[in-house]
Amino acid sequence: MANLKDRTATVILNEKVAKDIYKMVLQFDDMPDEIKGGQFVHVKLNDSAHILRRPFCICDYDMERKTIDVFYAVVGEGTKILSEYTTGERLQAMLPLGNGYMPSKDVRKVVLLGGGMGSAVLPAIPTTYPNLEYYTYLGFANKDKVILENEMAGKSKDIVVATDDGSYGKKGFVTNILAEDIDRIRPDVVFCCGPEVMYKALKKSLDGHNVPIVVSLEARMGCGIGACLVCNCKVRRAGEEETYVRVCIEGPVMNLDEVVL
Amino acid sequence: MSNLKVNVAGVEFKNPIITASGTFGFGREYDRFYNIEELGGMCTKGLTIRPKLGNPPPRIAESYGGMLNSVGLQNPGVDHYLQKDDKYLAKRDIVVIANVAGSTFDDYIEIAQKINTSNADMIELNISCPNVKEGGMAFGVLPASVEKVTAAVKKACPNKPVMTKLSPNVACIADNARAAEAGGADAISLINTLLGMAVNYKTRKPILFNNNGGLSGACVKPVALKMVWDCFNAVKIPIVGLGGITSYTDVLEFMICGARAVEIGTYSFTNPYGARDIAKDLANYVEENDIDINDLVGTLILNK
Repeated sequence: MANLKDRTATVILNEKVAKDIYKMVLQFDDMPDEIKGGQFVHVKLNDSAHILRRPFCICDYDMERKTIDVFYAVVGEGTKILSEYTTGERLQAMLPLGNGYMPSKDVRKVVLLGGGMGSAVLPAIPTTYPNLEYYTYLGFANKDKVILENEMAGKSKDIVVATDDGSYGKKGFVTNILAEDIDRIRPDVVFCCGPEVMYKALKKSLDGHNVPIVVSLEARMGCGIGACLVCNCKVRRAGEEETYVRVCIEGPVMNLDEVVL
Repeated sequence: MSNLKVNVAGVEFKNPIITASGTFGFGREYDRFYNIEELGGMCTKGLTIRPKLGNPPPRIAESYGGMLNSVGLQNPGVDHYLQKDDKYLAKRDIVVIANVAGSTFDDYIEIAQKINTSNADMIELNISCPNVKEGGMAFGVLPASVEKVTAAVKKACPNKPVMTKLSPNVACIADNARAAEAGGADAISLINTLLGMAVNYKTRKPILFNNNGGLSGACVKPVALKMVWDCFNAVKIPIVGLGGITSYTDVLEFMICGARAVEIGTYSFTNPYGARDIAKDLANYVEENDIDINDLVGTLILNK
């Protein structure tokens, strides 16, 4: 049954918000019925040299205004082209893709943990689940890379921003800072998005605290809808052999203890 | 009178648009965008005897006007296909072509026997996958091997037309087309992906974990057109052309070079409606010009 659409959107904002980092707001001609925090959008570039779409997490969304926010770092040709689009540019985009975050019923208190650009996954979670209590921890390399502090402050009971070099906020790795606070907060779940090294560090620093950790994975993608099998991630599930799952369908949100890092 | 129907090896297609193996799963994903019955046919993901995990990531890299993949034939195995997908697809009004691959000669025979009693309409013999260490492309390089494996599959799968999918990474693809024909192939499809590499200049490493991958997308179209034409002049069996098709005019070019039908692969990633849109555009073209699409096949007029 046809229940997915490629949609047309207009760029209504595309501005630099930090070093090499842009915020883009896309307004859609028509919105899907539902978006869940943790889902992603697959954006087609308007040139035929770049044939693959670019997957971006839906940073935040507004169903009434028919908009989504996307944060992206200029890291390659595709994102450079994207950064040059001006207001009014029309783009094709598929959304919402991926599983998104679905908290279990007993979850009340959530730690949202972002590392660098991974922080861009977080704002949509409180938008989808406004009745939960959020404690936000954001970590960046240095003050030039800090994003989304204000947006998250408005959605959180408490927020901590840290930089590795101490040039802004607390000094040190945000995973270590969270580890110091975890017994005080006693969250039902930690939702984290960041680089793979952060997941390894997080696993270590929260070891023994008995807090479930949910992560949002990033992968190079092809189709974005589960057909091409390129965005695989190795998982080990209880009682099963290691296998690959598709980040675009079975993810991007996964239980960290199942992900083989 | 205008006509869009084509016939490949006795199998009728409502239009010449088929989706290529590995880009379309088993049809369910794109069924979420449009009714896949608007297409002439679909090739399944490459099936192997046992489930196959495939290569570690990264498995994809973009290149100018194209992309490289190194999936490595990840699939749930032929038995899973027969249980979960075969009956579902049989109910649909679309020609189903089971793409099969093996890592040994006996694998090909065993899997062909299983497809022989399935509901698939045709079998596409994948001897051209560049992304697996054993088998795959190894069977598709030398003409003698192409002939041998085609003949064995033909014998093991007498109920279905056998279409041998040729690799472009060979000395002379026309020789391999002749070898497939000599082995009893009912049709050939070409081209599979071209071997390539994507490199990160900062790390000095290939982007793909597998180092090499298969190049596809619009950039390969001229190579594919030339190879289709070469094979058209080498064999009598029908040819299904593929490689970089992104529009109905591309389809016309392939048919003029000798293809009876075409496969659309990578373009579905750019445009999820891609194959369906091309089929619609082609229908409009045929109607507006009042032609039988079959009349175009192999009508290339070479310059003196």
